[in-house]
Amino acid sequence: MLISLNWIRDFVDLPRDVSPPELGERFTLTCAEIEGVERIRVDARGLIAARVLSNRELPGSRNLRHVVLDVGGGKAVETVTAAPLLHVDTCVVYAPPGASLAAFGVIREAKVEGHASVGMILPGEAIGIEMAVQTAIFLPPYAEPGEELAAEAFDDWVIEVDNKSITHRPDLWGHYGIARELAAMYRRDLKPYPVVRLEELTDVDLPEIPITIDDPQRCPRYSGLRFGSVGSQAAPLWMQLRLGHVGLRPIDCLVDLTNYIMMELGQPMHAFDGDKVERIEVGLAEPGSTFVTLDGIERALPDAALMILSNRQPIALAGIMGGLDTEIRAQTQSLLLESANFEPATIRRCANALGLRTDACVRFEKSLDPANTVLAIQRFMHLARPEFPQMKLAGRLSDAYPEPAEPVTVEVDPRFAARFMGHPIEAKDIVEILTPLGFTVDEDADKLLVGVPSWRATKDISIEADVIEEVARYVGYNSIEPVLPDVEVRCFEPNALHELEQASLRLLCLGLSFSEIHGYIWYDSNWTRRLGFDPGPCCELKNPASAAMHLLRQTLVPGLLASVDLNRHYAADLRLVELGGVFFPESAQVQEAHERRHLGLVFARRQKGAEETLLAELKGVVETWSSQTLGKPARFEPHPADAARPWEHPQMTAQVVVGDAVAGRLAALPLGLRRAMDEHLAAWSVAWAELELNGLCTPAPVEKVRPVPAHPEVDLDFSFLVPVSARYTAVAKQLAGFEHALLKRISYVGCYEGKSVPAGRRSLTVRCRIGDPARTLVDDDIASFRTAFEGFLGACGWGLRR
Amino acid sequence: MDVEQLKLILAGIEQEARQAVQAAATLEALRGVRAKFLGKKGSLGQLMGTIRDYPPEQRGLAGQTLNAASQAVTALFEERQKQIESSEVAADASGAGAHDPSLPGVRLPLGNVHPVTAVQWQIEHVFQRLGFTVEAGPEMESDYYNFEALNIPAMHPARDMQDTFWLTNGLLLRTHTSPVQVRTMEKFGPPIRCIVPGRCFRYETIDASHENTFHQCEGLVIDRNISIANLIAVMRLLLREVFQRDVKVRLRPGYFPFVEPGFELDMSCLICGGSGCATCKRSGWVEVLPCGMVHPNVLRYGEIDPHEYTGFAFGLGLTRLAMMKYGISDIRVMNAGDVRALVPPSRMAGPTIVERN
Ligand SMILES: [Zn+2]
Repeated sequence: MLISLNWIRDFVDLPRDVSPPELGERFTLTCAEIEGVERIRVDARGLIAARVLSNRELPGSRNLRHVVLDVGGGKAVETVTAAPLLHVDTCVVYAPPGASLAAFGVIREAKVEGHASVGMILPGEAIGIEMAVQTAIFLPPYAEPGEELAAEAFDDWVIEVDNKSITHRPDLWGHYGIARELAAMYRRDLKPYPVVRLEELTDVDLPEIPITIDDPQRCPRYSGLRFGSVGSQAAPLWMQLRLGHVGLRPIDCLVDLTNYIMMELGQPMHAFDGDKVERIEVGLAEPGSTFVTLDGIERALPDAALMILSNRQPIALAGIMGGLDTEIRAQTQSLLLESANFEPATIRRCANALGLRTDACVRFEKSLDPANTVLAIQRFMHLARPEFPQMKLAGRLSDAYPEPAEPVTVEVDPRFAARFMGHPIEAKDIVEILTPLGFTVDEDADKLLVGVPSWRATKDISIEADVIEEVARYVGYNSIEPVLPDVEVRCFEPNALHELEQASLRLLCLGLSFSEIHGYIWYDSNWTRRLGFDPGPCCELKNPASAAMHLLRQTLVPGLLASVDLNRHYAADLRLVELGGVFFPESAQVQEAHERRHLGLVFARRQKGAEETLLAELKGVVETWSSQTLGKPARFEPHPADAARPWEHPQMTAQVVVGDAVAGRLAALPLGLRRAMDEHLAAWSVAWAELELNGLCTPAPVEKVRPVPAHPEVDLDFSFLVPVSARYTAVAKQLAGFEHALLKRISYVGCYEGKSVPAGRRSLTVRCRIGDPARTLVDDDIASFRTAFEGFLGACGWGLRR
Repeated sequence: MDVEQLKLILAGIEQEARQAVQAAATLEALRGVRAKFLGKKGSLGQLMGTIRDYPPEQRGLAGQTLNAASQAVTALFEERQKQIESSEVAADASGAGAHDPSLPGVRLPLGNVHPVTAVQWQIEHVFQRLGFTVEAGPEMESDYYNFEALNIPAMHPARDMQDTFWLTNGLLLRTHTSPVQVRTMEKFGPPIRCIVPGRCFRYETIDASHENTFHQCEGLVIDRNISIANLIAVMRLLLREVFQRDVKVRLRPGYFPFVEPGFELDMSCLICGGSGCATCKRSGWVEVLPCGMVHPNVLRYGEIDPHEYTGFAFGLGLTRLAMMKYGISDIRVMNAGDVRALVPPSRMAGPTIVERN
């Protein structure tokens, strides 16, 4: 929100030696963030009011007009302008020759498209006010031609307050509230808010407006005032300038007045055409109905849209926007002014559903002070009377306030406040800080009873901590001496999953040459389509970042493959790892949607047909990871490829088993998929593994070391041939059945296919360790073991490799 | 054979041995020569076997003579062995003159953790030294933990501050790591000291400085008598450990519904030292973290009595910290999966000879 310093000065005399940027800094440190402080320097000299005497088209020109102006002193000048709507008798801001502005320099007599033009009708944009292009700045009807226009009003400082930082402060959505804070900061008096006396509006013998509120929860207060003999005219120049400086477009005096008060007090108001509104009813819209707002758009109303109605006919979207039918027009003479208070959630829900975020609804959302409805009307009358001297009340001030807000009192213990701040503070300091902010403070034994002003009582301040915040920010957060906390020693249970995650990345990245990547947690459906992957039922985003990214991932593999495709351009050997969440929807088996933590690994090498090597290496990585981080060995079981997951190779897919738990899958990437990803990857070999960490955090039994045998043990290697169809797991299971008194262990050494191995066979090498705890082995022991083991292999049908 | 003859033979053998020993240039050759003379089947060894052939009265003398010869030959070998060994040592010490001690090693490719992970570990390390636990929570979160239990009821305007990814199943992607505050209160009860590093999501348009997926690190301390002064001290300590130097900090009001009071913590700009530069928008200060005293309502949601316990919480932007630390200017590289954009160049290739921009 933008704040005009000229405006602030109406309410507080700021010290002269404080520069606006310093003031912004102070405000940032004490109250709310200031995003910028900007100077408006028009430096206008010699501008005057001028009245339009005649206005005709300039022959041969599309948009220029020839205008004769009364510039006072019986003088008339002719000027050429592009400004529209210069009706005869209206007054405008005029820069005669010799006047000057920072942006233009000194105005001289000029020729415009060959026509003599004296001076310049000043367009709004020339002084930084947002108006329709080239529109003149109009003056109220009482302006005198030739009257000099005060130069000071054109120059200003504008301070931008970060809206997010005042979400909780309805009072700071207007200049008066900001002025109150500044007055407290600089220890100046806040001037009373200039309004007409309430009695002038209530003690009159005129009818009231009938107001009915269906649900006081949704509309706690509705105040209205009827008056007549007003019309369409320009607002006073100073008001237009201020509105312009805070980013509002001056429109017409009556509209500008409501906007001005909204920017001053934070209270939105709405002016209805008084002739078209007989009574006021506040209630919900008929389900499924539509309403034409004053911007001319017919809107389908959401459920529970709060409406202002008259004789059950909707006339406004409460707190958001008025209706087209009852809009005030140029000829409107009689007005009904609404100043109401609405429930924030009701307004917000409706505005969000309609996608219609007006200045009014942004304020109503903040829980406005209900006391302001009447105050705003009093202020309106104060500002309107000088503009419309003939204006007449057409009704008594009507005010429906069925359940007036209870005053809020908060008990504050000064000792607690000191403890909570970690800073010495006494009751008298608290009183001194709170009083200028509008709080009342009564001492009650050793407690303080703090009365919260109505403008802070709607939501902002209700508990002790809220009051302490007020005290602390005025003490100054930076005057509080830092002290490290005095805490209770406590040993927290370890977070096993987090520790596993960290250990895994540490091992893989710092020890095993993997590079960690992060991806998005949703599938990119353009990519999954390219992979030929149908994700099936997934957790789904209602509002995805883009239409192709609405499904949450259940596997890390597609993302890792995308990264392979990206990184293959510059590296011939890739080892990538990603650790992250995957998400599963509720299903017949599991009632609730849930997430798991996965570890995804991929090996890619620019080498054709290296899948066996890559898989062996990747398995080695998984084995190392499992032993080092889980303390349990991993093994691999043949597993049929899942047809729904195109990255599982029909032949080269295994299930990873850690201890007794299935931990994940591991496979080579089929050529078909590599081709589909990228033609270049046809010449690569790729293997991946994906592990689910959640179930693996069970403690592993500690494996004990064994004493070094007293008599040396001997290792004997045996290479033998098995059919290629035989699986290692099956072979190993059979080998485990071999019994011999000297046998200590059989372990896997390696396998080989190729030269010297007959087709259809694979050579496996295992190592047998033999020994006798009681004696040293002799040659005969070795020979007899050899015979026994070779006999066993033979019996299994596995000939020795010669 | 008599002893005199034996002496003659031995003299010949000794002479022969002397020559053979000198001719042996290596220890291996010398061992071969030694076997030829002193081995069981060597020339001296065989003579030893003949002693019983001498008359008994000569056997003693023959034995002495043979032993003396054997010792003499052994001495020859030992002397020569020392010679060869010392010349080998000398050759080893002076040889290999072509070796370049400055050559780099042959190494495995270097692996790398993601910059965010690296910064996360650094933060975790600081807080673990202070006795904090590292907690985690789901990324697919409920409205309750993400908003309601953080004092942000439905229709609260503060929900605008955190544009949310909603799921069709009624859950959402957490917009901050703060939902873990109440989850941790439920898990441990007071006192609590924890941090929660993790991924968060905001529904916003991606550009060089905005991401819809980023990492934060929440911190939470709850104990008896926790004060604003404590918060400032811990934050200052954190920043000193992260930036490895004393940094000036300042606190100013900030609004977050789950803290009361809430603060924005600024740090004096490390680039200009506080005098004002483009990075700090001429202010001399850089906004680093939002923080505040835990709102009593949030403590109540976590079933902690706000009359007995107070606490503070803070949120550190890990992604932003990683960008600062590694000089990453475009946030989009963080989730793009291109390793080159995440890893300092010298870690990518072999040992660097020169690096130019
Ligand atoms: Zn700077």
